Amino acid sequence: MNRINFERFFKTEKQKQFSTDFFKNAGEYETWDEINFSTDKEFDGEQTFTIKAEDMKAYAEGVLDDHALMNDEKYAQKSPYGSLVPHPIFITQIAFWCIGTKGQGNWIRTPGARNPGQDFEFYEPFRVGETIHIKMRPYDRYIKRGKYYLKYKIDFYSQKEVKKATWILTLILPRTKADIKKFVEGARGLDA
Amino acid sequence: MTKITFDSVQTGQELAPFTKKVNQEIFWKYAVASFDYNPVHNDPEWVKTAQPFKVPYTVAHGMMTMSFMTSVVTNWAYPNMLRIRKITSKFTLPVAPGWTVKCTGVISEKHVISKGKNYVVVDLKAENQEGALLGVSQIEVVFPD
Amino acid sequence: MSRVNFERFFKTEKQREFSTDFFMDAEDYEIWNEIDFSNIREVDGEETFEIKAEDIKAYAEGCLDDNPFMTDEEYAKKSPYGGLIAHPLFVTPIIFYCVGKKGRGNWIRTPGARNPGQEIEIYEPFRVGEVIHIKLSPYDRYIKRGKYYLRYKIDVYNQDNVKKATCISTLILPQTRDDMRKFLKGQRGLTD
Repeated sequence: MNRINFERFFKTEKQKQFSTDFFKNAGEYETWDEINFSTDKEFDGEQTFTIKAEDMKAYAEGVLDDHALMNDEKYAQKSPYGSLVPHPIFITQIAFWCIGTKGQGNWIRTPGARNPGQDFEFYEPFRVGETIHIKMRPYDRYIKRGKYYLKYKIDFYSQKEVKKATWILTLILPRTKADIKKFVEGARGLDA
Repeated sequence: MTKITFDSVQTGQELAPFTKKVNQEIFWKYAVASFDYNPVHNDPEWVKTAQPFKVPYTVAHGMMTMSFMTSVVTNWAYPNMLRIRKITSKFTLPVAPGWTVKCTGVISEKHVISKGKNYVVVDLKAENQEGALLGVSQIEVVFPD
Repeated sequence: MSRVNFERFFKTEKQREFSTDFFMDAEDYEIWNEIDFSNIREVDGEETFEIKAEDIKAYAEGCLDDNPFMTDEEYAKKSPYGGLIAHPLFVTPIIFYCVGKKGRGNWIRTPGARNPGQEIEIYEPFRVGEVIHIKLSPYDRYIKRGKYYLRYKIDVYNQDNVKKATCISTLILPQTRDDMRKFLKGQRGLTD
């Protein structure tokens, strides 16, 4: 069920490779009521993300930010930063890419998920040329005003194991597989 | 003591309120109980001109208001052997002598983690006799089951 | 300048010992614009606090809470707690007592200070017989809507170095020593 033609908007290599159909693997997404909290074990993402200039520029463009430090490589090179500086929320692109379709954390792709707000901490700026991998684990799960919230803690590292950022990623989700199935069929799979 | 279970609590559940009328003598007694002798709570003469809160009268200790809000939860948690883990508060209006402070609480979040780590969040507020908001608090309460 | 006769309210030994005059040592108090954040080291409080039944009971009484777990030793002994349980905010008199007059953190005694709200995490309940000490360090300092906020992190331990609680203590303070001195003279030493 992927009626929209996104290809006309693709600018980067990763955008061309990434699966735009969030319905396709929905049967395999982790569901709110099935997440295992009995262990603190961390998991790797499905993929790594090698940062290219085109990735940073595409994100800035996608959020309509024409700041020269994020878009203009020559300008950024002459600045005290020495190179392109990503928009802080560029981390979103990295997370979706690294989590992938089948790995832990794939619930972020759930049709019907709602974003109540997010929480980031940045330690070191992301740089072109770095290869980012993530480690994540279940962080919290709760019911509030009839909505089902899930939180994962995701730590972002460079290839040298330098921690770049932490994201406490939260979404309001359908509670069960059956509820997700309703959304996949175009019906509302939430009570609140 | 009857104990409640984590399964049985629901978001939206209200806890019994805790209501007290306060006056200067109660402020003095709280100063003694807390060792907080800041004159804004204790010294009506000084406060007439010093006015830290831009009012010419003494005001209640924020920690007393916070204690009142917490009592809503301890009245429920202690008999049920539940553990209070975290308390945050904000004070929105200084409490004047002669006011009635009514504290109410509702279970706003239910965190389903695992046995021994399951907890709820109670949202509390303190209001005066006219319904003006004096402060808010959030308290995390951990269940043993 | 302590015109109020507090003695008629004293119930415990510590209450009789503790200095009720917050003006007297004000020149020794740490001031908002003088706190050194370049070297954030933990320091000990000036005093330790040996918890007696009278201390726990006095705090409950001071906040008008007649919960028998906090006030009735016989009742509490027969309960699953096995003894008195302190009101969660009992950490307040512990901190005031342990910070003392001249040590780090004494800004909490500043005449004119305002309480915007607090944050307390409790790890282990306080028990009669424990001897509590604190460790504190500067945590944050900021200006918001014309008010000067100072925050210290205070970790509270027993004699076995079991961490009992952590408080992020925050007050709105006079900005400078001169502002604080205005309050000592009964004038308003704040600009907001």
